[in-house]
Amino acid sequence: MSDVAQASQGPDDPLAIAEYTPGGQTALDDSERWPSLTPPGARRLEALRTHPFAPPWVHATGDRLSADAARRVRTPLPLDGWLDRHLDVARRLPAYRRRAGELVALEDFPLIGRDDLVDDVSAFVPLDADLEQAVHGSSSGSTGRALLIPDDIEDTARTFHLLVTLAAEQGVEWTPDPERMALAHVVHQRQAFTYASVISSFEQATMARLNLIDAQWPDRLTRARFLEAQNPQAISGSPTSLAELLDPSLVAVLHPLVIFSGAMGLSGALRADLVASYGCPVIDVYGLHETRPIASSADGGPFVILDRRVHVEIVDDRGRPVSQGERGEIVVTAGENPLLPLVRYRTRDFGMLVEVDGRLAIAELEGREATTFLANDGSRVACVDLTQQLQAAGAHGWSVKQDATGGVEAVIARGDAGRVSAALEALLGRPVTVERRERVADLGEGKPRRYVSLA
Amino acid sequence: MADRSKAQHGTSGPASAPAPSAAEALLQRWLARNESIDAVWAGMVPGPSADAVASRIGAVPKTFLDDRVRVVALAGDVLESDRGRGQESTDVVTVLDEVAATGSSAARRGAAIALWLWAGDEELGPLAPPLAREHAARALAAMAFRLASVVDPAEWVSDAERRDEAARTFLFWSGQLPAGEDRETASSLLTMRDSLQRNGALAAAAEEHAHRLEVTRKLQEARAREAAARYTHE
Repeated sequence: MSDVAQASQGPDDPLAIAEYTPGGQTALDDSERWPSLTPPGARRLEALRTHPFAPPWVHATGDRLSADAARRVRTPLPLDGWLDRHLDVARRLPAYRRRAGELVALEDFPLIGRDDLVDDVSAFVPLDADLEQAVHGSSSGSTGRALLIPDDIEDTARTFHLLVTLAAEQGVEWTPDPERMALAHVVHQRQAFTYASVISSFEQATMARLNLIDAQWPDRLTRARFLEAQNPQAISGSPTSLAELLDPSLVAVLHPLVIFSGAMGLSGALRADLVASYGCPVIDVYGLHETRPIASSADGGPFVILDRRVHVEIVDDRGRPVSQGERGEIVVTAGENPLLPLVRYRTRDFGMLVEVDGRLAIAELEGREATTFLANDGSRVACVDLTQQLQAAGAHGWSVKQDATGGVEAVIARGDAGRVSAALEALLGRPVTVERRERVADLGEGKPRRYVSLA
Repeated sequence: MADRSKAQHGTSGPASAPAPSAAEALLQRWLARNESIDAVWAGMVPGPSADAVASRIGAVPKTFLDDRVRVVALAGDVLESDRGRGQESTDVVTVLDEVAATGSSAARRGAAIALWLWAGDEELGPLAPPLAREHAARALAAMAFRLASVVDPAEWVSDAERRDEAARTFLFWSGQLPAGEDRETASSLLTMRDSLQRNGALAAAAEEHAHRLEVTRKLQEARAREAAARYTHE
């Protein structure tokens, strides 16, 4: 396959997971990935793919937008009356339609959670949904079984323009520049899908998902030279991958207009270091794959709820809504993805609602873990690497703890304990004790901390 | 195209939805088999006429409809000649065990009428062409779980239209095209008679099952699996 090079994983790699085989998940050609690709866009894409310092691309994927769709996604969905219409749609979902008569107002809807979607996501997909718009959305989650959900092509693409809007709110004028990559979406993990793409709705500027981990590059100089050549206008990633941007070789060559953090809690210290190194806004975006982006924080303070089809409630430990200023679990009604209109979805994250400049915001947001483990060679291993192996071994839930001396103990619910033990020992280079239990509930009540490292 | 089943609900929310009715529970057993209509059409062979089968249904002996008669024992007598046919015999016993496990009189009588159709070959002489037995388990399940969930088997005997529906249901899931009909005619008559589609609650359950299969199929397609470029880490 011309556009998917061989990655560095060897065939005998004990930690290799089949789906990350280079090209293993590709099915389309470029005209299907970018139906409105123009010759200049194609040239930029080819230059990115074949750049002499480019990393091996594990995957190929595009935004699939027709010219009309590319126009549509630049504009946010209208908000007038969205919640009423959203609840109308929800009442007709297989999950609710037998008792739609009881579900008059939002608060009449029961709380639902990740397990409901894992058990049968189709019950939450409208019967008349346009499944031609659906692509495979996989949420590994850090807390349990992987979840497969239908992503909507236009909703996914619209997220990019949400980022542009969030940047504009911070005074950043982010417009297409054919000389620069629009967005570098960076990860830092042992195995990841990486790809080169163009953004059809942003004048076909390039973007890429890049794995910054050393094993993906001949050396750090090559990594820096590649990124210098792309000169990305914006960089997005999790705190684990963004921390890698503090490497002096990257600080010396990158000039982002804005940085976006997601997936896990961004510490104040890392935010400050990124701001000091790059002198640009650092925006922490809170969201779940299931709900899409919910709120953002540009200053490390409360997360302001986004001006889009999202409604946030806080509930107590018995699932009852609490007042503003009271702490509890964050419950989200999300209406951006037409293929998965969620009502009162429990996030398993915690916080309190407050007002910031007249807008609702979530304060004291907790639950997104950014844990790394100390390997025997002194390197830090991101918890997502453990998640991949735990899920590949069939674990439904887990708790992995590293003590101050580096010792690691894992408790898993179901799954293959022998495989988990072997994989975690290979990842961390040290013995790992694994205890297997039958049920996720055996791991403890509520949302236990799945990863703890005191080392 | 799949025949259809009820969607499963999750725990924290929709689990408190009303418990499925006895009829829905029966239908769910059928739909859980994930039988493919397309596969039935692909393997269709000529069968006797729907009228001939309906007439035989009308002649079902009272002993077959007696709830005290165990269907597994009945099948032992009726399908004795099929013993040694391996998997299909095992599947028949599995279906009949399931019928017994439901405790449903309708399911039991539905299965018994299907068994009578085969038994009639001995009692009344074979139909032309003879009733197929290659898909006996599937035909039994269709009668006991699909049709009996929505129309009581007593009506299969007493009501001409329902008798025709039962005959057509049996022939279809046995993989036999009614004599004198082409695929289009047979399909349209079966659809016209289909009581399931006229029963709101059960039709909804069936629709949801089809939807679940379709969502799963779509997401597993290679085109969908390639996914789309994403811009943030959620």
